[in-house]
Amino acid sequence: MKRIAEAILSDGTKLPYVITDNPPAGGMKHTYFTPDKKFAVQFFNDSSHANDIELHKRMEYIIGKYNPTLSEKNGGAKGNTEESANYFSKRFCWPVSTVRYPEFGIVCPAYPPNFFFDENSSEFINLKGKDKRSNWFTSKNRKYLRDEECGNFRSMLKMSLLLARSVRRLHQAGLAHADLSCNNVLIDPKSGQCVVIDIDSLVVPGIFPPEVAGTRGYIAPEVLATSMLPSGDSRRKLPSSYTDLHALAVLIYEYLLLRHPLMGPKIYSKNSAEEDDFLAMGSKATFIENPFDTSNRPDELGVVIKDLGEPLEKLFIQAFVNGLHNPEERPSAMEWEKALAKTWNLLHKCENPDCLAEWFILHDTKNPVCPFCRHNVRRDSIVRLHLKSKLKGKNGQWTDCGTVDLHDKMQLYKWHVLSNVFPNEKAERTPVADIYTSNQQWFFVNRCLKGLTSPEGFIIPAGHQFELKDGSVFRASDDENSLLISVTKGK
Amino acid sequence: MSDFSRRLPVYLLLDCSGSMTGEPIEAVRQGIKALLSELKSDPQALETAYISVITFDSSARQTSPLTELMLFKEPQLKASGATALGGALNVLADCIENEVRKATETQKGDWKPLVFILTDGSPTDTEEFRNAVQRIKSVKTANIIACAAGSNAKTEYLKQITDNVLMMNTLSSGDLASFFAWVSSSVKMSSQKLDEKPGGAIQLPPPPQGFVIVP
Repeated sequence: MKRIAEAILSDGTKLPYVITDNPPAGGMKHTYFTPDKKFAVQFFNDSSHANDIELHKRMEYIIGKYNPTLSEKNGGAKGNTEESANYFSKRFCWPVSTVRYPEFGIVCPAYPPNFFFDENSSEFINLKGKDKRSNWFTSKNRKYLRDEECGNFRSMLKMSLLLARSVRRLHQAGLAHADLSCNNVLIDPKSGQCVVIDIDSLVVPGIFPPEVAGTRGYIAPEVLATSMLPSGDSRRKLPSSYTDLHALAVLIYEYLLLRHPLMGPKIYSKNSAEEDDFLAMGSKATFIENPFDTSNRPDELGVVIKDLGEPLEKLFIQAFVNGLHNPEERPSAMEWEKALAKTWNLLHKCENPDCLAEWFILHDTKNPVCPFCRHNVRRDSIVRLHLKSKLKGKNGQWTDCGTVDLHDKMQLYKWHVLSNVFPNEKAERTPVADIYTSNQQWFFVNRCLKGLTSPEGFIIPAGHQFELKDGSVFRASDDENSLLISVTKGK
Repeated sequence: MSDFSRRLPVYLLLDCSGSMTGEPIEAVRQGIKALLSELKSDPQALETAYISVITFDSSARQTSPLTELMLFKEPQLKASGATALGGALNVLADCIENEVRKATETQKGDWKPLVFILTDGSPTDTEEFRNAVQRIKSVKTANIIACAAGSNAKTEYLKQITDNVLMMNTLSSGDLASFFAWVSSSVKMSSQKLDEKPGGAIQLPPPPQGFVIVP
């Protein structure tokens, strides 16, 4: 039976919500929705939370001075601009208020509709209205979803980048999510969007950290290994930004390779499944692709971290070999964000029409092959821009700062042509140039670059184009931070 | 990944004695349907939970062997006869021995099984019941939750099987539906929290309204 109840929010506003039997519940909270389904009203399963002063204080800070989805002007995080607030309000399902009646609770915006399955998502299971938790897409459950629902490698890479950026934003403010997992990051591979949810158990500076149980497979090994110690024992490791960095690396690995980095064939204990798992995810955890310890390596791996290119391979080794049991060694979210952005530029479209991944990272042009379907790349389809930035203080000297693999109808942005722009939440997302190909020729079309000079030395005004030839070099604009770009074809 | 994932065996022991005739047995059928559809739409449960149904009337049998959710066929349920709960516990012990993979040096074992018992009476096979309780205690590898449904159910027998005993006051279709919904939340919660603290007590969601935990 449904009935409408009324919540009173911290500022006295009244908010109606629909009471349902067996409301959707997680480990900590259960959720009701407002009649228009725009907001979720959540209460804690354990009502002792309702009186937990630390929780109240934490929520006050989360909604106020640490809120990246609200500009500083509107009471949000310090230094947060309107643009940045808008950007992150799409990346987080951030609480907007606390509830003070009928009991302590929180109000969050409902997630956008693309994070719910619809009646066409699966032929086998009725998933309509269920949220898109990431393990639908990264586990064997994937086979029950329609191909269209699963996106492609490019969309998975995009979500990895968005997630790294969101976690970097949290960490930059001194916050930690504390329970990043397949359940708390919803993904929509179809559109390449993701959203971080369950923001209430954040670790907030200066406030006693929440005791979050975490989710199997995402809990950092040191947290699981010390979880047997009594609450309050100083040897017990609690959730922090370091444990987030473990979960982040696990999620990125899952998005890109569709498997869990620690679940392999190794038997850790023959006493019980529970004990085996406790060691496999905890004190004895071993990366399935550890190059120095192959005890947990499955016989068939298919695509491996090496296929993702050097920047990501390096970070996965850092996260799951060096940093697995040494939290300080784990790559930061910023490092992931940078490596993923760099890797994004090497996306190459697979020419095999049946390739489900559709895109791959072309990191080795000497041996150009799609690692997902083993389709060989036609050498003449490889056209690349090599970016060089001015070495500061050394006139006339340039240093490599990246490579961009071109495809037809591609758009270039400021971060492709200027050395001082990084593709983060502050970057302007208006294309500055277009790339297209016709009859084996490739063209660079100026949209709005000032002082773009062709390899032959002519100024190319907006709306005009020039051909990209092997070996040609040009300057993207007359901006002092403009990059020097050289072209290679077929190599 | 599938090769290294463990199964969470879930056994449902369902009372199909004569007193369940009519609305109650129909509610149980609907309950199983709802349970399956609910679990299939939960990614963790879909990946790990395997279901088996053991029914008991004047005797007991495994009606559906341990099967993954997508392949599970709903059992034919008919209500008649007495309440061979003891027989059902023996069938359960056999099934756990035969179906649940043990951890060995070369094989990843299954998770500890979850067992839900639903009965509206008390065992009529009291002697077998006494022995079966001892046997289940010695197997001791399962988390058992027993639910006494309606005013005729005797919780003192269930208390001998497990500490986790629930009581629901009526055999109404509403209460039975809530029971199955609660079973589904329990399975979902367990499939998420499998790893924590080996040997720790099982965590279950709060029981539905109108259900009482028997101390």
